[in-house]
Amino acid sequence: MRGTYLSYAAKRFAQAVVVILLAYVFTFVVVSILPGDPITNVLRDPQNGFSEDQIRQIIAAQGLDKPIPVQLWTSLSNFVTGDLGLSMRSSRPVTTLIAEVLPSTLILASAAFAIALLLALTIAYGTQFVPKRFGQGLLRGFPSLFLSVPNFVIGLALIHIFGFQLGLFRVIAPDSFWATFFAAIALGVPISARITEVLIANLDKESEQEYAAVARSRGLGQARLFARHLLKPSSLPVVTVIALAIGELLGGSLITETVFGRTGIGSLVQRSVSTQDLPVLQAVVSLAAVVFVLVNLIADLVYPLLDPRVKLIGGPRVRPTTADDAATATSAAVTS
Amino acid sequence: MAAQDRLTADTFTRAERTAPVPLRPLPLLRVDGLSVCYGPHEVVTKVGFELGRGESLALIGESGSGKSTIARAMLRLLPSGGRATGRVAFDGQEVLDISERGFRPLRGRAIGFVPQDPANSLNPVRTIGAQAQEAAALLDEPDRAIRKQLILETFAEVGLDNPQRVYGSYPHQLSGGMLQRVLIGLAILPRPALLVADEPTSALDVTIQKRILDLLTRLQHDLKISLLLITHDLAIAAERANALVVLKDGVIQEAGRTASVFSSPASAYARKLRADVPALNPDRYAALRDVGFRTFKTGDTAAPKIEVSAVTKTFTVDGKTLTAASDLSFTVPAGTTHALVGESGSGKTTAVRLLLGLEQPDTGSISVAGEQITGRSPAALRSAWRHLQLVYQNPFTSLDPTWTIERLVREPLDRFKVGTNKERDERVLEALADVGLGRHLLSRKPGALSGGQRQRVAIARALVLKPEVIVLDEPTSALDVSVQAGIVEVLLTLQANLGLTYVFVSHDLALVRQLAHTVSVMHRGRIVEHGTVADIFDDPRQPYTKSLLESIPSGGAGVAQATRARPRVTAG
Amino acid sequence: MTLASFSSASRDTSIGRLAVLRVPPTVALSFVVIALVIAWSLAPGLFTGHSPVVGVPADKLLSPSAAHWFGTDHLGRDLYTRVVYGTASSVTSALIAVVIAAVAGGLIGLLAGFLGGWVDIVLARLVDVLLAIPNFLLAVIVVTAIGFDTTNAAIATGVSAVAVFARVMRSEVIKTRQAVFVEAAFLMGGSRWHILLRHVLPNASRSVLPLAVLQFGLSILVIASLAFLGYGDPPPASDWGLLISIGKDYLKWPWLVYAPAFVTIATVLSVNRISRWLRKTD
Repeated sequence: MRGTYLSYAAKRFAQAVVVILLAYVFTFVVVSILPGDPITNVLRDPQNGFSEDQIRQIIAAQGLDKPIPVQLWTSLSNFVTGDLGLSMRSSRPVTTLIAEVLPSTLILASAAFAIALLLALTIAYGTQFVPKRFGQGLLRGFPSLFLSVPNFVIGLALIHIFGFQLGLFRVIAPDSFWATFFAAIALGVPISARITEVLIANLDKESEQEYAAVARSRGLGQARLFARHLLKPSSLPVVTVIALAIGELLGGSLITETVFGRTGIGSLVQRSVSTQDLPVLQAVVSLAAVVFVLVNLIADLVYPLLDPRVKLIGGPRVRPTTADDAATATSAAVTS
Repeated sequence: MAAQDRLTADTFTRAERTAPVPLRPLPLLRVDGLSVCYGPHEVVTKVGFELGRGESLALIGESGSGKSTIARAMLRLLPSGGRATGRVAFDGQEVLDISERGFRPLRGRAIGFVPQDPANSLNPVRTIGAQAQEAAALLDEPDRAIRKQLILETFAEVGLDNPQRVYGSYPHQLSGGMLQRVLIGLAILPRPALLVADEPTSALDVTIQKRILDLLTRLQHDLKISLLLITHDLAIAAERANALVVLKDGVIQEAGRTASVFSSPASAYARKLRADVPALNPDRYAALRDVGFRTFKTGDTAAPKIEVSAVTKTFTVDGKTLTAASDLSFTVPAGTTHALVGESGSGKTTAVRLLLGLEQPDTGSISVAGEQITGRSPAALRSAWRHLQLVYQNPFTSLDPTWTIERLVREPLDRFKVGTNKERDERVLEALADVGLGRHLLSRKPGALSGGQRQRVAIARALVLKPEVIVLDEPTSALDVSVQAGIVEVLLTLQANLGLTYVFVSHDLALVRQLAHTVSVMHRGRIVEHGTVADIFDDPRQPYTKSLLESIPSGGAGVAQATRARPRVTAG
Repeated sequence: MTLASFSSASRDTSIGRLAVLRVPPTVALSFVVIALVIAWSLAPGLFTGHSPVVGVPADKLLSPSAAHWFGTDHLGRDLYTRVVYGTASSVTSALIAVVIAAVAGGLIGLLAGFLGGWVDIVLARLVDVLLAIPNFLLAVIVVTAIGFDTTNAAIATGVSAVAVFARVMRSEVIKTRQAVFVEAAFLMGGSRWHILLRHVLPNASRSVLPLAVLQFGLSILVIASLAFLGYGDPPPASDWGLLISIGKDYLKWPWLVYAPAFVTIATVLSVNRISRWLRKTD
């Protein structure tokens, strides 16, 4: 078993590395099909005040005069060694720019994640204890509602109510506790919807399983049935959803930071989009992919350890045990 | 109906709850006027019966008869949306109108439940031990170690070899038979007065079925437990219960002592049900079966339609080699039915796939209707399938749900480009008529058809090409027994009329005896014994064949002897 | 025996027909909302007499009233009219996004699932890559690359959703390909392409419809978000996201945010409800 797990882990790790590198290449390709010549446009922008000589130097230094495949290769090998290049706009290392704003985004994202998880667990587990006639339907309606509200609307409503009407925080001081708190709510609520949906669906599925009825036939009440039988199998698959939610946190922070006037990765992207600062965009997207892939890798590696059903043959799949099973498993191959 | 009246006649003679000493022993369970609705649909209508202490009663019915719903209503385990009305008195106590909290102490402690599908009846992510401790918690025994000891003793009592290992296992690590033993153990652990067993063996192999039923019978006697057995199998019910209640569409058709209901059923439905159980009527189709055989046998005896010689097939799964077919050899004369019989994992599915060329054997050769099947690519086999067709086990998965019946049956004609458009239309109608389906079904989709109708469509589709050989892979195992009887009749009539050659794969020996001419008994990828139906059923040589035959439920010793004494027409 | 099976079959179908006819009230309401939204986008002039572009400066920043249901904006334009006229662009762009995502994703999933082998491995990695980049960030990058306007925002949104469709389609195709009826069709003499087009595709597509409806709602949100950040058409266009974005600078007059937000939420909520209902009835 241990040997299978290690080879499974090694395979998943290799896959993760491939995906990260491909994501880098993909972004590079998308960014370099930009219409016109944004690079020299940016450099020639009179605001920057570069002389033609300086522009030539910058172009040579960044290797922008080389053919695209060569540029890609240089850029990719720099990325692998952790060098993300220089900002086109400020000529500062991209790593420095990101390091400056990362803490703020991390605080916001982790607060939002905590809120999302708390909200999701409260609502989903609540459906198990709130009887039908006392608003279980209302609880079940929440994820759909949360999924339908754009997060900038939640943000604006929070600013309007708690900032303007109640004066709890001021938009001018975006890093204050309350400002961060409400920004985290705006970011977390839509993300909680996904987690809640999956949790509720799993809980419903599990409580319809025969084993739940059989457990009840052993005299278990709702609370024990939930705690002993439903909680674990319905919550396990959520590990995967949580990994997906991390990606949404990064995307969502783009808007939340704009709405709440925070400085962070999101506002850095905003600024880089408007100035077409390609190295920064390339770096942020690649980092997002790295984070996403790593979180998913961890989820995939942890999952088999939590769920005894999962057996590993090149991936979490149940192995056939009899000759007939083996025949059925290979049957699909015949038709293709 | 008369039985029901009798049961309800003495219902309100006493006020049970207040009477300190009943004049006569109170029945342990009395169900009276029980109805169950899902929304506007009533699935159980005014059902009533009684079960005495230490007695056993079987609820018998086909799918949709409401038998399982009755059990769940009694245990108050109806899925959401289900509503039960009427009276269910357990040990004199009404159970339908008390609160959930008030009823819960009865569950497990007084009423044990053995479910239908052992594989899905235990929580897959918790160990057996953890779940057993829940049942043991009902024992009022504070010491966990002693509780564990009691669990292990119970596991030994239900015939589990290594209780300690079972205790620490997860459900997926045990076989279906072992899981059902575990579930029975958990149900009897708190020593309930009543055990409700909902089709406890329908998901298990026939030899395991017998052992599980024997276990239930033994426990019932040893522990003086009342048994409410729910089953679709009249023979099992008659063998295991003192009293029978026959249900159809949620209404009681007949009820009474087993001896009278079983040997002389009064209601038309019970009579038909009894006539449709293969084990009780081994010679029902003997005449029909042998018409075709005699006619075509005289034609050409020289060349068999199917020749399988020394076929071996192994699969490599996860580094381990599994032998799914080992040295299989048999021949099938034209116009006859050869049965492949075996339990799950015996390799019969592999044998079917080899016959069709869907798998290629490692060694050996197969020829069907003069065409070599082995050594050809799937594309090259297309011409062989013109004469060789397959009917799958499950008509719910073998028909494309997005196609109409007409298109489905016509598909082989279109693909093999048989005849003109008009001829194809005619042949579709002809094939449907052959299997007893009307043309009004042509524009329906499979979802609008019953299981029996779907399987008829599947047979029509196999038939429409006018093949010489049809392989039938458990064609009735997903269907009710009365539907099965209709399918069997269709198959035999077709064989008699068209001289078809069948390979009939089944786990059901009684069914095989009704319709096959020759039999191969398979076990672990080998043919352990083969011969004519008479050879195998009257004079089995191998212990495995004997144990299979002994496992066929016969509805009780008396009935079994009666059938054996009857003269039999056999093939050959 | 046929008596029993016939009667039960006819009962099953009549129940099925009843269930189709009986639409839950919330679903009916959702259809009404969607019908209204479609009507707004097809013929906005029928629903309002004001101009979406030219305002009456004297009437600026009025509260909602009988004359101006959603109030007026800082240039004295009727906000309800702006919302109605912005519908076409908001809805059409979401439609473009869904079509791009469903067609491209569906094709990728179909090929990967049916052909298997190397095709599957290559396409699966491509899908992994698309999934690895957070959706909204991907949309932002693409729209940056091809230029800021509403159609491009729609294309970007579509590209960012390709992976979802590819994934669902692939798993459905694999599931269908292993279905018994597919092997049966093979035994009936069907060629690979016949099986792919006539059996696998229709069956696998069935679960794509509810997903497409759901994605339509999500696309409205993503495109609104892009418009909110200023990556769509510039004013005087009146896409819902853009209206909210303009409104955020006038939070003292909150209806400028709440009115277009309410319309957006009601639309997406209705779409989600319909998707959920489709999934259940399938």
